[in-house]
Amino acid sequence: MIRFKFSQSADSGTAWRMRHFAALLILVASSCVDAVDFGTDLQVHGFASQGFVKTSDNSFFGDSESGSFDFTELGVNASYKATPSVLLSGQLLSRNAGDMYNGSLTVDYALVDWNLSNSHERSYGVLVGRIKNTLGLYNDTRDVAFTRPSIFLPQQVYFDSVRNLFLSADGMHLYGRFYSDLGQLAMNVGVGTNPVDDNVEISYLGTDFGGRLDSQGAAFIARAEYETLDGRWRLGLSAAKASLAFDAAPTDPIGSGDIDFVYWVASAQYNAERWSLTAEYMQEPVEFQAFGPLVDGRDSTVLGYYLQASYLVRSDVELIARYAEGYADKDDRDGTRQSAMTGGLVPPYAFYRKDWMLGLRWDVTPNFMLRAEYQWNDGTWTLSRRENPDPAATVKDWDMFSLLASYRF
Amino acid sequence: MLALGLLVLLSALPASADPMLVAHPAVDTHEVSLNTTRLIFSMQLGQWPDGTPVRVFVLADDSQVHRAFSKDLLSLYPRQLRRVWDRQLYSGTGQAPETVADEGEMRSKVGSTPGAIGYLSSETIDDTVQVLTIR
Repeated sequence: MIRFKFSQSADSGTAWRMRHFAALLILVASSCVDAVDFGTDLQVHGFASQGFVKTSDNSFFGDSESGSFDFTELGVNASYKATPSVLLSGQLLSRNAGDMYNGSLTVDYALVDWNLSNSHERSYGVLVGRIKNTLGLYNDTRDVAFTRPSIFLPQQVYFDSVRNLFLSADGMHLYGRFYSDLGQLAMNVGVGTNPVDDNVEISYLGTDFGGRLDSQGAAFIARAEYETLDGRWRLGLSAAKASLAFDAAPTDPIGSGDIDFVYWVASAQYNAERWSLTAEYMQEPVEFQAFGPLVDGRDSTVLGYYLQASYLVRSDVELIARYAEGYADKDDRDGTRQSAMTGGLVPPYAFYRKDWMLGLRWDVTPNFMLRAEYQWNDGTWTLSRRENPDPAATVKDWDMFSLLASYRF
Repeated sequence: MLALGLLVLLSALPASADPMLVAHPAVDTHEVSLNTTRLIFSMQLGQWPDGTPVRVFVLADDSQVHRAFSKDLLSLYPRQLRRVWDRQLYSGTGQAPETVADEGEMRSKVGSTPGAIGYLSSETIDDTVQVLTIR
């Protein structure tokens, strides 16, 4: 069980300001602002979320053992319908996530959506710019609390420690939607370059080396989704392929090399009036090349999946339960082989994670939401190495309690 | 006495929501299919057959009329509509419908915005809007 011991954590000034700003914004916004609407061609919307995380052991989104408020998401977007078939849109995002993200402003997406044909039978077009990767049910809007099923997405499928690897890409997408009496089929394929950050390097190479890890060549993204006309069934298959090149510095203990990723997710959801069942299954083959024997032997297939059920107790109160598990290597699920490769420095339980989660969502108004969740974890895989620098110091069985307030307009 | 009591009781009950699809009087389409109506309210069909841009107006998610419209006319749950809007809105691939405060505003907006579509409970409908038939 979690002991509630709050200590004053040594936050960076930015994080401190961010969370107070968020709290203020939520307060002010929920009392007065409404979506800004200039005619209907230009729309401005946004969201502000503030979380609290308390863990029995280990760090997740800040110094969570002492209780952390280092989880703030702020976003504002604008879209302009230049003509009936051309939409311009962009979103600015500030995300404070423990030691992983400091709240600095990023362009989440900025794109032109040029619709070439739109009828009651089909719609197709092209997107150009920075586009969110269409992966699984949630990646495209993963930072908008209202669109997530829970405070945190299941980490075994939607890693927060390497979110940046498959978050978005600068490039182009072709999309098509086909409507018939049998349902709706939506497909898109995209190509672009994906921006990466230090979190990715730390997760895949173990530490932030002197050299640089950058995306290499083009990344490819594709998704096909089928939905029945009444929205009860949703089935999807999505995949991305990306490559990173590591350019070693002379002082680095490992040489230069490449890491190739394929990430694919199969998704299924059933929605009834009060309840909904969701399952997603992800695999990610990772290949290390040309680093030298020490690193190249780390090829593996990452595996993660979850099953989630939600039930609307009242129209504004939802209960959610989820089981998730994931493995750094599907052929070494108990982590012993991978642990041995590190000479035992990294314990076996750092290579898998299984958890149960129970949560409650209360939509106080259609635009203001509160959430509370409790999670029981076995294993520490997907925890950020930045936040837990010494794997041997992590605890295998740990609990997490989290709260979230979110406002949108 | 009993009859009077019943009358008072009945008049105190909220009017049952039986929303109908309404559009701006100049919209040149008078009949739409259920699937087309769903596409319009999912913000996935942007133009009327004559090329006029469609302007979609809705009431808040928790309004009785919105729920009845969503469930009874579209056979969709309000949160399914919300999910579709949010995904488009927050990924930059679509816009949200315009939310109006009440049925009075719905009627005046739909009646005064070319290409507008919305819904109203039958007793609030007047000749400033046209009623569309769902086939």
